Amino acid sequence: MEYLSLFVKSIFVDNMIFAYFLGMCSFLAVSKNVKTAAGLGLAVIFVLLVTLPINYLLNRYVLAPDALIEGVDLSFLSFIIFIAVIAAIVQIVEMVVEKFSPSLYSSLGIFLPLIAVNCAILGGSLFMQQKDFVNLGEATVYALGSGLGWFLAIVSLAAIREKMAYSNVPKALKGLGITFITVGLMGIAFMTFMGISL
Amino acid sequence: MNTNNNLYTVIYTTLIVVVVAAVLAFVSQSLKGRQEANEKADTISQMMTAAQFGTKADFQKMGNAAVLEKYAAEIAEAYTVNAEGERVADLPLDKVCSPKELKRQNYNIKGGQNATGAAELPVFVFKDGTTVVPVYGAGLWGPVWGYIAFEKDSNVIKGAYFDHESETAGLGARIKDDPAFQAEFQGERAAFGESPVFAIVKGGSPKNADGTEVVDNRIDAITGATMTSQGLEQAINTWFSAYARFFQGAAPAEACCENACCDSTCVKAPCDSTCAKALCDSACAKPACDSTCAPRCGGKPCGHPCNPQIAAEE
Amino acid sequence: MNAKLKETLLNPIFKGNPITVLVLGICSSLAVTVTLKGALVMALSVIVVCGISSLILSLLRNTIPGRVRIIVQLVVVAMMVILVDQILKSFEATYAIDKQLSVYIGLIITNCIVMGRIEAFALGNKPWPSFLDGIANGAGYGLILLIVAFFRELLGSGTLFGVDILNWMGYVPNNLVILPPFALILLGCIVWVQRSIQKDLQE
Repeated sequence: MEYLSLFVKSIFVDNMIFAYFLGMCSFLAVSKNVKTAAGLGLAVIFVLLVTLPINYLLNRYVLAPDALIEGVDLSFLSFIIFIAVIAAIVQIVEMVVEKFSPSLYSSLGIFLPLIAVNCAILGGSLFMQQKDFVNLGEATVYALGSGLGWFLAIVSLAAIREKMAYSNVPKALKGLGITFITVGLMGIAFMTFMGISL
Repeated sequence: MNTNNNLYTVIYTTLIVVVVAAVLAFVSQSLKGRQEANEKADTISQMMTAAQFGTKADFQKMGNAAVLEKYAAEIAEAYTVNAEGERVADLPLDKVCSPKELKRQNYNIKGGQNATGAAELPVFVFKDGTTVVPVYGAGLWGPVWGYIAFEKDSNVIKGAYFDHESETAGLGARIKDDPAFQAEFQGERAAFGESPVFAIVKGGSPKNADGTEVVDNRIDAITGATMTSQGLEQAINTWFSAYARFFQGAAPAEACCENACCDSTCVKAPCDSTCAKALCDSACAKPACDSTCAPRCGGKPCGHPCNPQIAAEE
Repeated sequence: MNAKLKETLLNPIFKGNPITVLVLGICSSLAVTVTLKGALVMALSVIVVCGISSLILSLLRNTIPGRVRIIVQLVVVAMMVILVDQILKSFEATYAIDKQLSVYIGLIITNCIVMGRIEAFALGNKPWPSFLDGIANGAGYGLILLIVAFFRELLGSGTLFGVDILNWMGYVPNNLVILPPFALILLGCIVWVQRSIQKDLQE
């Protein structure tokens, strides 16, 4: 039950995009059509799902004070270790995608390497550090939930943008401008979840 | 040069990681002393700000050495107490609790797998009787903590100062940057033994017709920073509940409440209006002192009526 | 200064602005634009970090193995940011500034402008132009940050740099402006204005 509430909470209440506004850059740039958006969304779920548990274990057994050697506090390294783990995983994903799906690779373009600096991924690890999950299961469920939340957000924005292509938007506002405003309005809509406690 | 060679890649990566880790470890070790001195002076100035010896800006202008000097001149005693309100150990007067230490005690209060033992909560008493205690908890982005000062031997709050690691500037960061928010705590009371002990909610306390507050343990939350306000509220409640026995025991009320015993929550009630005879009579009847409540009834055995008056009636 | 360097320096400020044209660094621009002071601290640190890390990585560009370039880039950027943080924290005079800055450390490391410019420019150019490109992109980012922060602090708190501007005449601060979605709507409006002036950017 606790897992379920954590899961639902991390998708809707603590949504990475609409509650914390993390990972906006790739969110805005790769949401022109549903297919690529879903591809990037899946990549984010995957990277979160792999990096967060690894970082959880590192944080618990290496970085925490007295974890590795009595009296040694390595927490000053946590940022750099988290980032290095994320970058390594992203690099692997990049190589795999390049090999197996060149079309996805070319449409994701610069944004695949930029998953490494996607604040949602590092944010996930930092939230994990702060939330003091009691076991690996919770960390994994949280990773899956926030990844799915991100996926949901980018796919719904892409769907709206596909429809909006046929709308009569002022010329200068077309594209990026109206997307910013749409995301703002979606964010306000998602705020209704904020009061829910599970 | 072929930079895509496997061996080269591995060596290069290893080299970069080792160099970076070494540089960071060296810098962090060699600057540790200076950083700790700065942090200590900062913590002291936060405590003294809470105890109303000046504003944070004043202390900032004074410089580290002057802050330490002033603290040495004003502090009377520092010790730790446990959750039963008993004094555990004396703290050296030149030591303060770093946020890291507070984090450790926060785990201890909550229990669970991160706990390292029973909670030992620091108490700082200044020469004028002002008692300062810390609070610690999670805000929106990272930890929030702070110091709350009480008037001599009472539950009336004299002042408060809060700090945070990474709350949003202009919103959550106002717990630290906004003196008006901290000033709201002044004159409020911590309702030790009740739940919640203290509340930070939108609008603060409801008002009476004459503009006075209906309850005095409630202040207004920060607009736009709901999560930080809630986190701070939770931090305060967690820590105040842990300090409850200490403050209730210390209240001068104890003396005149000698023949009162358990109130409805089975905690020794302070000698104020809630300790009226009616409450003592109804709440101290036998059921309140049965097996479930015995340990809290001043150590008296199960079924033992803890009020001599009631004992006589029986 | 030759024309090309000048172009490198001026382009990111308006025509190729990292936020409104390249769509980089959005997350941090939402988080730090509630007050002008926060926006200014963030802008200055991004200028410094972006310039210096572009310079370092441009110097290293011929030695970095292609397959691990992201790790190397991130590690260097993160090291820079942490070093600056640690050094500022050690001096009495700069400790207070660092407390302001440390809030943004994570945001600076993951700021895609820094990474994006290294990936797109510094790895293919000589150190000096890379340094200028880093600084110019930091400045272009900072400009948008200050514009957004100006409106958000003025309308959301009625102040500018903490100084009361509107409140004394009975202005009631608009709480919607403080919330992050409003920053997005403001950014949308900035894009609207920019693209009305510069028609070739229209989609």
